[in-house]
Amino acid sequence: MNYVQKIYKLLLFVLVGIVSLEILPLILPIMAMLIFAFLFTTIFLQPADYLERHIKSRALGVILILVSTIALTITFLGTFISNLGFQIKTFTKKIQKEEFSSNVESLFASMKNNLPDFLSNLIPESEKLISIAKSSMINIFQNILSLLSSAGNLLFITIMILIFTIILLVEYHDFKRSLVWFLPNKYLEVGLRVIYNIEQQISKYLRGQILAASSVAILSIIGLFTLNQLGANVTLVVFIGIIAGLANLIPMVGPFIGMIPAIMIALMNNVGSEIALNHQILGVLPSPFYILDIILMFIIVQQIDNNFITPIVVGDSVGLHPMVVMLVLLLGGTLLGPLGMLFAIPAAGVIKVIINEMIFLNKNSHLL
Amino acid sequence: MKPIYKNYFRKNKNADPILETIENVAVFENLSQKELYEIVRLTHQRDYKKDESIFKKNAPAEGMYVLLDGAVDIFEPDSNTILTTFKSGDFFGELALIDEEPRMASAIATESSKLIGFFRTDLLTLMKRSPELGNVILMNISRILGERLRKTNEELTKNN
Repeated sequence: MNYVQKIYKLLLFVLVGIVSLEILPLILPIMAMLIFAFLFTTIFLQPADYLERHIKSRALGVILILVSTIALTITFLGTFISNLGFQIKTFTKKIQKEEFSSNVESLFASMKNNLPDFLSNLIPESEKLISIAKSSMINIFQNILSLLSSAGNLLFITIMILIFTIILLVEYHDFKRSLVWFLPNKYLEVGLRVIYNIEQQISKYLRGQILAASSVAILSIIGLFTLNQLGANVTLVVFIGIIAGLANLIPMVGPFIGMIPAIMIALMNNVGSEIALNHQILGVLPSPFYILDIILMFIIVQQIDNNFITPIVVGDSVGLHPMVVMLVLLLGGTLLGPLGMLFAIPAAGVIKVIINEMIFLNKNSHLL
Repeated sequence: MKPIYKNYFRKNKNADPILETIENVAVFENLSQKELYEIVRLTHQRDYKKDESIFKKNAPAEGMYVLLDGAVDIFEPDSNTILTTFKSGDFFGELALIDEEPRMASAIATESSKLIGFFRTDLLTLMKRSPELGNVILMNISRILGERLRKTNEELTKNN
């Protein structure tokens, strides 16, 4: 290769690099939508195959699945938002009253009494506290409002993901066949095996996650009902349970996110109640507004899920070492935030399958 | 000369060469045209150059091939003996549809050939989407294997 050719190749490489860097931000949202559509496709693939088997029309099956899923989601979100709205309205009324200030004051006073001296010094004075509490509450509601305002953009993304999902679900098997078409003859059989293994890995993981999330949701609902029987006064129990189940999809961090709505609602409902403020677990451990009860309940749910349900229903779904899971989670979280954490484990599972197949290919390269 | 008018709405059932070939393959016997079309949608059409390897002995086996056009030799690489030669319409490697054992011999295209592959993963997909169709294919494979076993027994009895 002479110098001119080398320079030409280098220039071409730089040009392609610059163009792809320019195009990448434009393509990225579409890629993200496609990834979501692919994930939904994997979740709904088995029901779609099942319905196709029984009603003999794949398109009709796909439409049935998606319409029922959308109807369920809309019903859930609609009821949840209207209930939450009512909850916020009642709470803002409560907050306006003087009771709120006196409650916050007495809460922190009791905290100061119960904590050792060096820690209690860290708690600021009562006036400051009230203003901090008020402003942080207002901040939370402002965040909820800004979230709702971005609903328009969310609607567009949802519709696009829905369209991609319908196309992928209906054409999935043909699409896979077209993908195989690009494989060289030499790698045809191995390629088919890799695709099949990846498919199995993802669907096994997703099915496991959905089962684990459902069990956490059901257990949380049961737990919150039990706490309510003891006087915790937590409303929107079913919704909190479902949110906890969904949050559980993010390993390790998810369970803590799942606790937040329950604690918030317990706070909202119990502000002004003297009994709730002075509540103690088993008459020993102070747990104002039942916060500690709720945390304990979620920890118990997590333990039941991690030690009994997940090992039985999910098993060793991805087969990654806990240390690797943690590292991958951190990496996913650093790169893409909560979404990265959600996708980190299945992505690591796919990479593991590919590496295993590559090792196998390397060992058996003489057979290709 | 090309016709200037063609009735695009009349479907020529046998226009698809793959459909024409696989309806005569024993693995796909007793299937309706619609079911055969379902199979065609799952298969992979591949072109092989002369002397290109299709699979090698001891390689992991994933499925069977039907020869649409051309010729394929099945040979034992160690002794370099040709075990059999396949022509258009023949099929081979069907055992790999049901077991995961490596290939017992090598296959090579002796002239430029067109093959269609039908693999275990395709059969598994088919069994999920249409179990009745999958069962017919499994029955057909069992019949082929039974026939082979009978013939092997006959050969053994003759030699003894």
